Amino acid sequence: MQLTYLEAIRQGIWEEMEHDPTVFCLGEDIGIYGGAFKVTDGFIDRFGPERVIDTPIAESAIVGAAFGASLTGMRPVAEFQFMDFIPCAMNQISNMVAKTHYLWGAPAPLVLRGPSGGYVHGGPFHSQNPEMWFVHNPGLKVICPATPYDAKGLIKAAIRDNNPCLFFEHKYLYRRIKGEVPAEDYVVPIGKARIAREGRDLSVITYAAMVHSALEAADMLAKESIDVEVLDLRTVSPLDREAIAQTVKKTNRVIILHEHSRTGGLAGEIAAIINEEVFDDLDGPIVRITGLDSAIPFSPPQEEHYLPKVSDIVREARRLKAY
Amino acid sequence: MANKRTKSKANSNGNRPRNGVRAITAHGAADAIVRRAGSPKRTGEGVRPSAANTDLRTYSIPDYRLEHPNFTVHQSVEKDKAGAEHVHYEVEGDLDAPVPPIRDSKYLSKQQAIEIYRYMLLNRKMETALENLYKQGKVVGGVYFGLGQEACSCASAYALDKDDWFAPMIRNQGSLLVRGFRASDTMMQYMAKAGSPTKGRDGTSHFGDIEKRNMVSPISMLGDLIPVMSGVALGARLQGRNIAVMTWIGDGGQSTGVTYEGINFAAVQNLGLVLVIESNEWAYSTPSEMQYRCKDLAERAIGYGIPGVIIDGTDACQVYDAAYEAVERAHRGEGPTMIEAKMMRMKGHAIHDAAAYVPKALFDFWKKRDPIARFENYLVREKKWLTGQENGELISEVERVIEEEREIAVNSPMPTPESAEGGVSCEDGCHVIKPKYGMPKVKKGTSRYKETEAAVHLK
Ligand SMILES: Cc1ncc(C[n+]2csc(CCOP(=O)(O)OP(=O)(O)O)c2C)c(N)n1
Ligand SMILES: [Mg+2]
Repeated sequence: MQLTYLEAIRQGIWEEMEHDPTVFCLGEDIGIYGGAFKVTDGFIDRFGPERVIDTPIAESAIVGAAFGASLTGMRPVAEFQFMDFIPCAMNQISNMVAKTHYLWGAPAPLVLRGPSGGYVHGGPFHSQNPEMWFVHNPGLKVICPATPYDAKGLIKAAIRDNNPCLFFEHKYLYRRIKGEVPAEDYVVPIGKARIAREGRDLSVITYAAMVHSALEAADMLAKESIDVEVLDLRTVSPLDREAIAQTVKKTNRVIILHEHSRTGGLAGEIAAIINEEVFDDLDGPIVRITGLDSAIPFSPPQEEHYLPKVSDIVREARRLKAY
Repeated sequence: MANKRTKSKANSNGNRPRNGVRAITAHGAADAIVRRAGSPKRTGEGVRPSAANTDLRTYSIPDYRLEHPNFTVHQSVEKDKAGAEHVHYEVEGDLDAPVPPIRDSKYLSKQQAIEIYRYMLLNRKMETALENLYKQGKVVGGVYFGLGQEACSCASAYALDKDDWFAPMIRNQGSLLVRGFRASDTMMQYMAKAGSPTKGRDGTSHFGDIEKRNMVSPISMLGDLIPVMSGVALGARLQGRNIAVMTWIGDGGQSTGVTYEGINFAAVQNLGLVLVIESNEWAYSTPSEMQYRCKDLAERAIGYGIPGVIIDGTDACQVYDAAYEAVERAHRGEGPTMIEAKMMRMKGHAIHDAAAYVPKALFDFWKKRDPIARFENYLVREKKWLTGQENGELISEVERVIEEEREIAVNSPMPTPESAEGGVSCEDGCHVIKPKYGMPKVKKGTSRYKETEAAVHLK
């Protein structure tokens, strides 16, 4: 069955609510309206207002309440209208939820999900990729799917996981990407990367919307006989160190690509992992392609300049291949 | 620059001064602050709201206290001999009022009253033991005290049922004893011992238990427990149970934004939150006058659309009655209650703080209202529910228990360095998640899954 990325997420949550009575949703405008992007469209009619709760505009209360409910054995799925608003609940996530299991041994099986990412001219407060704040926060799992198959399999895995999971949906992909999704129940394991494209000459390590840019660049580069491997991380915390090491061992050249700003970004962490695991396998410098070290601007020419482009990947791949 | 306040009793906005001025009319009668608002009907009898007007909003905040301490604390500037300016706190008002009697409880039996008294004794003697352990260098970090607030911590938690939940703040170490934790649990936390509930990973009352005692671990950040406890009640309700969830917040901590979010969430969702506001004059070194502008914090309940009540936090009977009523409301599914307990933090913020900034007259005033001395007097001399000898035996028994607990705590080893590792996540079946109060009943399918329409927001 061909589904959009959004529909795959929606179906994943729907199915989990069908089969597990402890799953419920809460968030702003998720009920009758179905959410700002319609991810929970129709849920309130099927599951009732008890399990599809429209909340006040209060991000700390949404996360706090989800956490409290999880302590009683529920599996809440809380929506952020935009992931840009997640800092409003930072203390709940970082100090309350993430530390719970380590400090006092209580599991917190909750999912915090919502749209993130640029390329839609959302401006500085509706385009961010705030995943790194949580990667640097032990106790949380951070998931960033790129395809409908993974989006559905990973949202189901997140809901079934006994740990707090942050699920970053890329809003650029919501209705742009379609893909094959099986009708039967499946999950995609959290913490496992996938090879989105096999290649021999160099690896692009990336995730979410950037996977599609990398694949597009790889097709162009193939015409120049540069054979690019694309590693889709799928989960950014925990990182699949094994898969990162494997692809570097295979191609010996690596580009790390992400939307969020450069300093303190995921590329730095991955470069460190490569340094620790497979330093001797490198035939060239580790290359970073990232957003700029600024807020993400609104105006289309500025946003385009800020964000990584397919042409950036092509240029850097050529340079690295020739190194 | 010093913020020197005017000395007039009436505030600039015409409000009555804080901390209560209304004289009680008769012994035992609850005083009520009544707020009226609401627009008269346009075609009605003019601008004055009348009882017949359905738009009329009448809010009342019952006040169970038998006295209404009447003073304010403000900053004041003094010049020393050399002409240098010093800013300090001054208290102004009636500090000589006689100590009121304990208000008879509507609900407590003799046995229950004595049990609460015993918990209050345990609470205080546990903290005295902690103070001594600190002086012996056995405590890692500081020690926090609930001195003068034992009635507020113990009698409130005592009103909870077994299936209810609680989350203590730092001054509610007594509530842990009431809910079945041992004094050695708290002592070992302070000593960072391997045997502590968090196995050394956190200190003080920062621990929890979702299995037996239904306690959410506090974190240091003030206010964040409020939405969490609301969520606990939400989880239980989805499982078909109306439970009470109790937590406390200080006059300082209630200034946080998350406090608003949490109470409002409970109010909107009609969840059984029982929020005890520990109005104890100080937040670290800041007097409550500099935390909020309304007269009594319980008035804020009006803005949330929930019941609020004011009590004397040094009177165990008032604390219990207000908590009991709030817990009963929660069990009936009638939503949250805010209880403001007026009292005084009788030590510094923590053991390092000598509270030199507190005007001594304030300590003197509240010392006469010591919750344990007052309750003891009530049980032994007024009610004669305890003879002098029984009281003496009770105190010795409590001291013996605390000594035993101290021994257990002192003898627990320190954790190994390696025990810092692991346990960050719940993996490999370390926990099985299941609904605590039974599988939620869910709505049978009435509408089928169908694909959604195109989105509108940011294509
Ligand atoms: C959000 C937050 N800010 C600051 C602190 C540091 N802090 C700890 S206790 C305290 C004073 C609290 O006063 P109050 O809430 O009145 O409680 P009390 O100590 O009087 O019981 C402060 C400022 C904190 N724990 N949390
Ligand atoms: Mg205080």
